[in-house]
Amino acid sequence: MDGISNATQAAILDRLQEIFRAELDDDDLTIGMETRQADLKAWDSLAHIRLVNGVESEFDFQFNLSEIEQISSVRQFVDAIREHLQ
Amino acid sequence: MTEAAARPAAKLPVQALPWLPRPAGRMRDRIAALPADPLEALGAIRALAHAGWEEADLRQLGRKIRSILKSAPISLGAEARRHGLVPVHLLILSASTANHLADAIIATAIRFGFLLQLTIAEYEEPEPWLERHRDELKGNPPDFVLVASDGRMLRLAAPLCDEAAAARTVEAALAQTMRIAEVAGAATGKPVILQTLAGDPDAPQINMDRGLPGSPRQLASELNRSLALQARQAGHLLLDIEAIAGLVGQGAWSAGRYWYAAKYPFAVAMIPLYADHIMRIIAAQMGRSRRVLVLDLDNTLWGGIVGDDGIEGLALGTGSPLGESYAALQRMALAWKERGILLCVSSKNDEAIALEAFRNHPEMILKEEDIVAFRVNWDDKAANIKAIASMIDLGLESFVFLDDNPAERKRVREALPGVAVPELPDDPSEWISVFQAAGYFEQTSFSREDQLRAGMYKANAKRAAQLERIGNHDDYLRSLDMTLSIASFDQVGRKRIAQLISKSNQFNLTTRRYSEAEVAALQTNPDAVTVQARLADMFGDNGMISAVICLKNGRQWEVDTWIMSCRVLGRRVEEAILQHLVREARAAGASELIGRYIPTARNGLVRDHFAKLGFAKAGDAPDGETTWRLAVGEYSDKELPMKIEASASAGSASAA
Repeated sequence: MDGISNATQAAILDRLQEIFRAELDDDDLTIGMETRQADLKAWDSLAHIRLVNGVESEFDFQFNLSEIEQISSVRQFVDAIREHLQ
Repeated sequence: MTEAAARPAAKLPVQALPWLPRPAGRMRDRIAALPADPLEALGAIRALAHAGWEEADLRQLGRKIRSILKSAPISLGAEARRHGLVPVHLLILSASTANHLADAIIATAIRFGFLLQLTIAEYEEPEPWLERHRDELKGNPPDFVLVASDGRMLRLAAPLCDEAAAARTVEAALAQTMRIAEVAGAATGKPVILQTLAGDPDAPQINMDRGLPGSPRQLASELNRSLALQARQAGHLLLDIEAIAGLVGQGAWSAGRYWYAAKYPFAVAMIPLYADHIMRIIAAQMGRSRRVLVLDLDNTLWGGIVGDDGIEGLALGTGSPLGESYAALQRMALAWKERGILLCVSSKNDEAIALEAFRNHPEMILKEEDIVAFRVNWDDKAANIKAIASMIDLGLESFVFLDDNPAERKRVREALPGVAVPELPDDPSEWISVFQAAGYFEQTSFSREDQLRAGMYKANAKRAAQLERIGNHDDYLRSLDMTLSIASFDQVGRKRIAQLISKSNQFNLTTRRYSEAEVAALQTNPDAVTVQARLADMFGDNGMISAVICLKNGRQWEVDTWIMSCRVLGRRVEEAILQHLVREARAAGASELIGRYIPTARNGLVRDHFAKLGFAKAGDAPDGETTWRLAVGEYSDKELPMKIEASASAGSASAA
């Protein structure tokens, strides 16, 4: 991965961090690229929709239904966001 | 005019709450900058909430409010109440998802001066939920229940063209909703808010459907119509989702894919508007709706500056598009006057010139006699609005101020935060829709008194002139030729009594709120002594102006509620009512009247009510609550400047 992509990834992760804290109602939560839905008890199916909605309003685009269904890790969120922002 | 100022700003959609000022800065930063002290933070949040924040921002703010309340000492509630923040507990019953609404509703509530405690039952039919939680509801009853029904919960479906089947379907859905309302109302003893159904953009869009029995559109519109009627008859409150969705558009209202993904009942972007409407209804029911519209003149009621352009130079009425739009604004104000809203004028102008426009401009729709108070001078507008408030005896929280000038709006907003000051689009032809969408004059009931209110305030102005002429207050009262009619609560007075109880904030000793159903129950309660009083004089009928509820506790009668309209302050009505109560108490063999004063941010007026009536102080709580007692044997009749007519049915003492 080149330097620019790494920078984008870090910037997206920063903004995701805030969204995760807000939507999962946990100010001390720290997420990383490797965090998966299975790792976070609060990340249930309804929280997932709040995360999706939070990401959509933060980054100003819409996921499609199959993405909403398939995303189950922070890495997948970051990848999907990068794809939509391109 | 510069080019920049002439360019109209993009029109904001209703869901952006365009009547509120636009937010400044990012919510995250604004929250980080809040003071550490919880009470100060809540005050700052209340001010912060007065802007058109988006759903995500409101959610952050609501979350902050929850976290402050969670970590705050228990005394915070009482302290917040003294600062005008009233705790309200709302239960939302939804068969769809609803928890995602919570924080945005909490943040919206604080804009209306409420600290909201929310209980949400989602994803479940309301009836079994209410059944399972019956005991909890008894222990901690919510102040309001919202039955958030939607098309999916009611499952409206009938075969096409079968009129009888369509009617049965609507009847069944209506019965289900009313049953839920009844169970919720019985469990909580509080008013229930019912929702109409939004039109479904996914249903067939055939033009004839509204008249076609069994079509989705016909079923929903029949249900909405019947629901609105039954809610009114049964004393429930109506949240008209169909109308709100119509304003923003059914497509925008619909949850779309969020229904499929998470059973959201409507689109996330609509949550601020939805929350605003819930709070309007609750505020109105709690006596916090607004009642006064203060209007600027130049470039607000007419186009142009009357002092410079002269009466003939004004844009008003037929002949120009601009003139037409100012005339429409005047018609809007007049329509609100007919619903009981008081119209006032505050304008920087020469009074004689301004009045000349009212008297002599042929296209003026508002006439001088439509305006309850004029403050036309070169003083500060905030000072003038305050002067109007004391002139007509209403709190600033009852006021809306309409002015085309952004600088004046900002100034009034800063000086008088209680006054609602709508933001206006640049183009006057767009003001009306923004103003109407703001719903400042939300009402949950409508009585004859509402329609007569402006006339009553006018009559008060005549009384003030009489007092000035006579000088001596006692002579003045005798000159009024007053008749006070006293009766216990009855069927005829019920609606107005319930309205007085829900709306009075200033002359209200305990600020206990009772629904119409509860008022009805008091009519036959043998342990309650109730009083309703009407006052008429030579200048007109003031209508029902006072309600009192006493609860018998052996030989002690406790004054549970004592309310009086501020219109009749200083007329010695309260003394006459006390005299009546004492007589009733003596006749029933009671020995003592017990009074209680519970302070709020708005009832300082009656702090010494019982002392003035000759009660002795019996208790003094640290939160400011005081108790009082009067031995009825020691009371001696007063000579009062009015005729008192107690109707035969007055007092339930004889029934006890």
